[in-house]
Parts: sequence; C-alpha cells; structure tokens
Amino acid sequence: MDLDDTNLEDLNDSNDSEDYVHITPAEVLELMEETWVNEKFAPEILPNKTEVVDIILEQIKSMEVNIKNLSNDDFTKNIYQLEVDKLRFMVTSYLRTRLEKIESYVVHILKEEEKRVEKGESKYLSEQEYKFAQDYSRSMDRYFNKIMNFCPNLTSDTWSSKVIEPNNNSFVFMKSKKTIEGLPIDITNADSDLVDIKSGSRVIICYSSIEELVKNGDVNLI
Amino acid sequence: MFGEKGYNLIKELARSEDNLPPYNSDLVNEISHEITKQFEENRDDAQNSTIDGSESLLLNTIRIRNGASKRNIRCLMAYHYNRLKCLRTMRWEFGSILPPDIKANLSSDELEWFSNYSKTLVNYMKSIGEDGINLAVDLKPPKALYIEVQCLVDYGRFELSDGTMLLLKKNSRHYLPRSECEELIRQGVFKHIS
Repeated sequence: MDLDDTNLEDLNDSNDSEDYVHITPAEVLELMEETWVNEKFAPEILPNKTEVVDIILEQIKSMEVNIKNLSNDDFTKNIYQLEVDKLRFMVTSYLRTRLEKIESYVVHILKEEEKRVEKGESKYLSEQEYKFAQDYSRSMDRYFNKIMNFCPNLTSDTWSSKVIEPNNNSFVFMKSKKTIEGLPIDITNADSDLVDIKSGSRVIICYSSIEELVKNGDVNLI
Repeated sequence: MFGEKGYNLIKELARSEDNLPPYNSDLVNEISHEITKQFEENRDDAQNSTIDGSESLLLNTIRIRNGASKRNIRCLMAYHYNRLKCLRTMRWEFGSILPPDIKANLSSDELEWFSNYSKTLVNYMKSIGEDGINLAVDLKPPKALYIEVQCLVDYGRFELSDGTMLLLKKNSRHYLPRSECEELIRQGVFKHIS
C-alpha cells in the first residue's frame, strides 16, 4: 500500500496533536502497516497492538474533521478523503483478520490465554477481543448443547474435544530487519542446521522457528 | 448400514458450496436416533455379557457399534459446524438481517445462534476506539473514491451522507462515492460497472 506520508503530516499540522511527541504520523503508519501484514500472514494470532490501532483511529478522526472544514471545491479534499479511506481499510482489515482467527481457533486461543494469565504474562487478545472470544465460545457451547442433548451419554464439550489449532509449521515469507545469527531451521530438532540471516534479506522459512522474532518485531512477514 | 445416513448428510452439505441448503431435520433426527440406539444396544450387551464363551463375540459387536456411533457423532458435528461457518460469512455479507429465502432454510437453533453472533459482533464493534467502528464496511481495499454503479431494482429514494437525495430507478446509472454504495452493492441493489 502506497500512502503519501506528507498528506498525513499536512493534515495533522493544522490540528496540533502534541500527545504523541515521540512518534510521528509517518512512523505510526509504518507500524500499522507492519502489524497488519504480520497479522495477515501469521498462522496464529499475534499479541494485540491496541495502542497502534487507537492512535490510527484518532488520526482518522482528526483528519475527518479537517476534511469537513475544507470547501467542497477544494481539489485536495478528495485526495485526503481517499487517504482516510485507505487508513480505515487497513485498520478494519487488521481487526477483521484477528476476529477470523479468534473464531476459527476459539478453544485453542482461550486455553492459551489462560496459560498466559497463570504465568503472569500479558494476554495476546485485547480486552474487547477477549470478551468477544468468550461470548463466541459460549454461544457455540449453547448451540451444540442443544443439538447433542438427544443422548445423555454425550457431554457438551463434544464439539470442543477436537480442537482446531493453527498450523504453526506452515511456511511464511519474511524480511529481516536485523542480522540474525544461528537461527535453527527446524526448531523441534535439537541438532537442526543453523542459518544466518542478513539484515534486509528475504527468506521462506517455517513459521515456528521465527515465531518469537515476529512477536518482538525483529522480522516482518511479507 | 451403519453410518450411511451420516455420510449422506455431509454429502448434501458439501454439494451446495456457497448457498445453504435447507436444514435437514429429518435426517439429523434419524442419525440421532441411530446413535441412541447403538448406545442402548451396547449397554444391554455389556450388561448381558457373562464370563462364558460368548463374551468375545459380543466384544467385537460392541466395538463396531461404538466406532459407528463415534463416526455418526463426528458427521453431525461437522454438519452443524460448517453450517454455522456459512451463516457467519452471511452475517458479514448481508448484515444483521437475513434475506427471507435464507431464513427459511435455517433451524430455530441456528436463528438463535445467528442473532447471538450478531449481538456479540455488534458489541465488539461498539467497544473499539472511542465511539466504535463498523468492521462490516471497507471490505475491499479502496482504489478510487468514486465508482460507477448501475441500479438493478426500483429502490426509491436514497439519501447520501451529505444530505443529497437520489431517486434510484431500475437501470439508472450513478457515479457515487464508494463508501456510500458498498452496502447497496452487497444487498444486490447496485451493480458495480467498470
């Protein structure tokens, strides 16, 4: 996606958003794009980036206000509008992808989240997503309960006994931001071959071996 | 034969890929009945089995029945689960109100699930950001701000977000902002012409 960052900055200058002094709109945009693409190509759900989403949503809002103030004859108005539409698409597509993953792997994800809470780690789902996941799983439970109640021997968790899990061993394209040395190709195998990846190089690799690197932002999926 | 009905149920669903066939409650009931019967027969046989020579014979029968009922259960699960998935896609396509011809094909439990799902989704969408965001629009990446559409039905009056009123007649063509007509395209009122 090709966005002209200067437009973003132009619009923001008129509305001084001094809250995010440490991060420029262009950087937020880059971050959002990265997050979006990573989420799109990762087989499992990634840690949530609510902060980025919130900043972008606020950007959209302030840009829309600015657009409204432009006169209808202004040629640039349409261009700004398209810019906002593109931004909005990116955010909604990101959130939709996450919802799809939550729906498909709801049992697995909720279990993992529980484990994370027990270990004291932070959750991958945002608060709202967690609520969605719980509601969704509850409605599935209720539905399958009704269908399976013809026989007393069947318990309600029959539907969740065969858990659908994301395939973390699938292969992904990635681009490295850093030089990484000694990355095991097959993470399950203790004496697997190691590879060195130069910064900026693009590789096809098994997702499970770069899982951590994706989460801490050292590599990007493409 | 054991399991044949389950197979038929799955086959029926698999054949109609995108549209949802009517909920086959007869077949579902028959399969449920088969499962219950298999359970009961197994229970009776297990109770009647004694230590004499007939035991090994009974054991095999029980095993086969158990296998068959497990398979039937999987079939039932798959049938219902995949229908729900299809319904879910429809929620994104049509919004929270289903067209009547689809509604007619659903069971009452499915309708209940659908309204629950709708509610969950709406609650989620409301909770994002400060005043919520509608995830059901902007499904495709925007390329141009305006698109040309042809009206397929006599829709009547339609108000744009800036207050302009339009009269949508059959076969009339309009040049409108994409965001305004996206929903009408999905509802089949407009056709996108490029």
